[in-house]
Amino acid sequence: MLSAQERAHVAQVWDLIAGHEAAFGAELLLSTKIYFKHLGVCPDEAQLLTHGQRVLEAVGVAVQHTDHLRAALSPLADLHAQVLRVDPANFPLLIQCFHVMLASHLQGEFTVQMQAAWDKFLTEVAMVLTEKYR
Amino acid sequence: MEKQQHRLAFGTLVITSKLPDTMVHFTAEEKAAVVSLWAKVNVELVGGEVLGRLLVVYPWTQRFFDNFGNLSSESAIMGNPKVKAHGKKVLTSFGNAVKHMDDLKDTFAELSELHCDKMHVDPENFKLLGNMILIVLATHFSKEFTPQVQAAWQKLTTAVANALAHRYH
Repeated sequence: MLSAQERAHVAQVWDLIAGHEAAFGAELLLSTKIYFKHLGVCPDEAQLLTHGQRVLEAVGVAVQHTDHLRAALSPLADLHAQVLRVDPANFPLLIQCFHVMLASHLQGEFTVQMQAAWDKFLTEVAMVLTEKYR
Repeated sequence: MEKQQHRLAFGTLVITSKLPDTMVHFTAEEKAAVVSLWAKVNVELVGGEVLGRLLVVYPWTQRFFDNFGNLSSESAIMGNPKVKAHGKKVLTSFGNAVKHMDDLKDTFAELSELHCDKMHVDPENFKLLGNMILIVLATHFSKEFTPQVQAAWQKLTTAVANALAHRYH
């Protein structure tokens, strides 16, 4: 559960991303390549932009519904459990990339409180997305 | 890999593989990325931030720093002189890793024993600290912290974490 202040931090950071989901999404996925080389996936730029946008837009949905993530992300949770089946161990890696991305864009403005709030938030999102796995 | 045969006491034959020595290999580009960024790092400043962030974002890590005084709030932690001093110490040690990227296991053998046998630090914490280093570097270096630079640093922090945990195995 996020406190009011944590929700404020999440919303404040999201303000910078909103409208630029594709660009941020592509940057995020590009940096994850270093972790997922073993998957042999080499997406082209168009795919990165499309898929990155999709991922970031979903994060945007989560930002709007921090109070009821389970309900808001239920269809995505189904998708991850039944179709995608991304290994739960991968979520912390994506979250780390997310932090590095936010840190490099926001620099000093990515304060420790912002980092703590986003880490808590993204970890909750990951939990909800993998909850139906078994 | 060499295969070795072992005969157990009751006569069953078990074939095991002799594992190769798992030294991490850094390419010339990875080493260059690490070394060139490291040259610009303010170890005192960054070290304090790294440890401070670890203690704030993952509050359970505070369990190892009972004698550090006031850790009651985010500002107390980030401003705590003992946190800053210890952060500097930790990051200075990382500087040693940068100088010995091909020989991390031996470089950190003593520290590994200290962390494992004396301080009983869960090795998971080494990974968390490594992640903090990357995030703080990204706040300082921004666009210069490209995916390639991030990859090299992630590889280094993971390798250091493994070297520090070596005494557990």
